[in-house]
Amino acid sequence: MNNTIIEAHGLKRYYHRGAETVKALDGVDISIREGEMVSILGPSGSGKTTLINLLSCLDAPSEGTLTVAGKSVAGLEEDQLVEVRRGVLGFVFQQFHLLPTLTVTENVELPLTFLGRTPVPNRTKEVLAMVGLSDRATHLPNELSGGQMQRVAIARALMIEPKILVADEPTGNLDRKTGESIFQLFRQLTTKGLAIIITTHNTAFGDEADRAITLEDGKIVSEETPGRPRAA
Amino acid sequence: MLTRYLSLAVKNLRRRLVRTTLTVAGVGLAVAVAVSLGGFVLGYREAIDKSIEMLGFQVMIMAKGCPYEAATLMLKGGTGLLYLPSDTYEKVKRDDAIDAITPIFVGIAQKEASSIRDEGSEKTFTVVDGIEVPSFTAMKPWLKFKGGAGYAGGKWFDQASKDEVVLGYELAEYEQRKVGDTFYATITPFGKPDLVRHEFKVAGVLERTGTQDDGTVFMPIDAARAAFNRPNQLTILGLKLKQFNAANMREFETKWLKLPEVQVVSLQQVKTTLISLVSTAQTMIAAVAVIAVIVALIGVINTILMSVYERTGEIGIMKALGARRSDIFQLVWLETLMICLIGSIVGSIGAWVGAGLVEKAIKSLADLGVSGSIVRITPGVIGWAMSGSIALGFFAGLYPAWRAASMRPVDAIREGAS
Repeated sequence: MNNTIIEAHGLKRYYHRGAETVKALDGVDISIREGEMVSILGPSGSGKTTLINLLSCLDAPSEGTLTVAGKSVAGLEEDQLVEVRRGVLGFVFQQFHLLPTLTVTENVELPLTFLGRTPVPNRTKEVLAMVGLSDRATHLPNELSGGQMQRVAIARALMIEPKILVADEPTGNLDRKTGESIFQLFRQLTTKGLAIIITTHNTAFGDEADRAITLEDGKIVSEETPGRPRAA
Repeated sequence: MLTRYLSLAVKNLRRRLVRTTLTVAGVGLAVAVAVSLGGFVLGYREAIDKSIEMLGFQVMIMAKGCPYEAATLMLKGGTGLLYLPSDTYEKVKRDDAIDAITPIFVGIAQKEASSIRDEGSEKTFTVVDGIEVPSFTAMKPWLKFKGGAGYAGGKWFDQASKDEVVLGYELAEYEQRKVGDTFYATITPFGKPDLVRHEFKVAGVLERTGTQDDGTVFMPIDAARAAFNRPNQLTILGLKLKQFNAANMREFETKWLKLPEVQVVSLQQVKTTLISLVSTAQTMIAAVAVIAVIVALIGVINTILMSVYERTGEIGIMKALGARRSDIFQLVWLETLMICLIGSIVGSIGAWVGAGLVEKAIKSLADLGVSGSIVRITPGVIGWAMSGSIALGFFAGLYPAWRAASMRPVDAIREGAS
């Protein structure tokens, strides 16, 4: 349960805007263990999304070392990054990003298509039951509420049984009650060894995590361990 | 896996149904033009081949004149006929190179308004072929008499007869004439000012041949010459050579071109002439087809590119979820191929259903010198057009698919969310 799944040292990400160099992330050290829920807090422009993009192998660091699920990521191109992501990382986004033409079941099974796996109906039912959407399997996204859509996105991420779940502002478009239920679901998932990284503006939600890391100007300015007892 | 990609592609295309339908219609139109053109090229060549084969000759000797007229004269009938002295027949038939020969006298008669279909029309004309039955039927052994009620007992006229005719199938249908009926024709004898009205007895009606013979009145050659007051003339000598090849043809031509006012035309030359007559038109139509295909191609690229841009966020998500560059490429490419495939099916069906209209349109625009169907849409033509359409889809899809596959997930997701 306590194996390190993500390890980063001196992580930097620079962007070039004309002659100007923007330091979106400026030397971050971070380590995340299996079954750990880590929240990344900070104001807009603090580097939360940049950090999460790097940790989830959607982007490559300009400098520093990064190891994800035992694989070194620094210096890899997109074609190599996707190989690291496949089957290891699950994603949940603020905007849900469900495919509007696919039913709930089809959306949930979509990642399997790209992994070359045949969907097992029982597994799909199991995941939908886990997120409380068994009765919405044949619905289209536009027939669901925001909270339900986010649950579909979580089910989609879980379908491949990832080792790491990355959630970028997962409750940003949800009301407080729905947001809380999502965090409760995340908490349950960590008990199965899933590492969860969440970015959020909401410090109350951030405190639900095992660790809350706060970023400012691309640097970690605080790292707290709220020490909330885990749900049974 | 392909099934799942196909399902995804179909759902993506259905998302913007009007746009997809218009794009498919564009491809369909281009394919319909291409199939119709292919059908016309094939059908016209086959019509020429059939018409020439059904003439029964390999070579024609006729009076010097416009080679195009010469080409169409026997195939389609015509006016402005030129005549040879009848002793040409006597001279030529002694040539050892000849296997069979038949003299034909062609004249144009004005028909009486005897049919209800002539009502209101000022005058109509028909081709009269004066023939020598034994040599003519030896050249065209397929000519058979129509049977059934009113047509039984049909036979060739006696060669010495002056008032018997045999009618081609369509002419008999048009004139509503059967065996034993009277056929009226008005002929202007050569060198005389007045029209002479003739009454002929129908000795027989021929079965349909799909050639100019179907619209022709056949009568004994001497009777025809007398009626047209050209007692010592003929129009064409139809020939078969014992050995027909280019060398023999050249030798034969050289020998008989010595006769004054004679041209020797091989039916291969006739075919070449007829094909060259329409080749310009075919080139023009082909140019239109190419333009239609290019426009359709641009439409397909535009549609797929728009679809890719609209789905930037989704593509980013798919990549985040584990889709490789090749997965996205295949998905977008499949959509392009599906548009082209559906368009080609729609276009092929449209061309097949509309072949009759295309044929009527072409025939109304130009006299192509042949009888029968000139647009023939075969599975081969459709196959070629569909293969071409899919091949174009193959290329049209390359850029949009590459564009989608090259998106970085982090950028695509950000753009999609904005």
